[in-house]
Amino acid sequence: MTRENPTIRTDITDALRRAMARLGLPGSWHTGAHRIAIAGEFRRARAGLDAAADLPPGSLEAGRAVAVDAAEIDQDRVDHFASIGLPLHGYVEVVGVVSRIAAVDAFHRALGYEAPPFPDPTPGPPTGLFDQTAKPSKGFVPMLRGTSIWWALTLVPEAYEGMEELHSILYLSPHEMREPGSPRALSRPAMELIASRASAINECFY
Amino acid sequence: MLRESSIASGTAVDLAAVTDRSIDPRLPAGTPLLELVDAVITGTTSEIEAARRVVHDAVGWDALVDAAAVIATFEMMNRVADATGIRVGRGMLASTAAVRRLAGIADARHS
Repeated sequence: MTRENPTIRTDITDALRRAMARLGLPGSWHTGAHRIAIAGEFRRARAGLDAAADLPPGSLEAGRAVAVDAAEIDQDRVDHFASIGLPLHGYVEVVGVVSRIAAVDAFHRALGYEAPPFPDPTPGPPTGLFDQTAKPSKGFVPMLRGTSIWWALTLVPEAYEGMEELHSILYLSPHEMREPGSPRALSRPAMELIASRASAINECFY
Repeated sequence: MLRESSIASGTAVDLAAVTDRSIDPRLPAGTPLLELVDAVITGTTSEIEAARRVVHDAVGWDALVDAAAVIATFEMMNRVADATGIRVGRGMLASTAAVRRLAGIADARHS
């Protein structure tokens, strides 16, 4: 799949390319190399392979849980990750990385394309950046603006921005969601049927 | 959102098809779209290829790309919701009880 492919919207190909490039950048808690390793563990876990990456234990365990066992994660589990060295902003970063690579790979898989290769990691330390104004929520992690799926990753702006871009381009923007119709070739009821079935399979009723 | 969009478009979608694959969703290309979702999330490469071919024949390439994009989105968002503990609140549980029963997801742990 290339940018020059005339049969896939360029906003999609561009967004997916940016999502992959982001993986290699230093994040809030993890280096670029660790972020790529976490994404790599998503692919290994999905393929039924044992963990292989040299990652801090909390990052490895959290990454694989989000990859293939997200429906079973509870507060105790998140607390456990913290107890073995993964702070909340590191955990939110892991959720962002794994969820985005899940989207990228699912899109490629659905259309019969090979999963894109990981970028070379950008050297440098983690940024340490997270939003200290995020407040305790009714979920497992602090959030801005209250507890909702849309604000779920706002503790780490990079994670939120990555999710928001993919959501808006692959599916609908917040404005488009409020409109009854579909700006896509696929009808809105068909889009929602797909969304509902995917969520049912993943045992998530969002 | 499925119920609302079907009402808004005047399309009588059978919500039970979301969780019971023996039921026809009564939406144009609904069954092949559901097959594609299942194949992409849980199936083999050959199952995905077969499902993709049927969807392409039914709705064309651009709509197939859109379908792939929606599946991708919810592979992302389901993980975000579950991993961050986004739950169905009491008010939402009450107001959606009938719809969730129809769709076969009465035991909704998450929102």
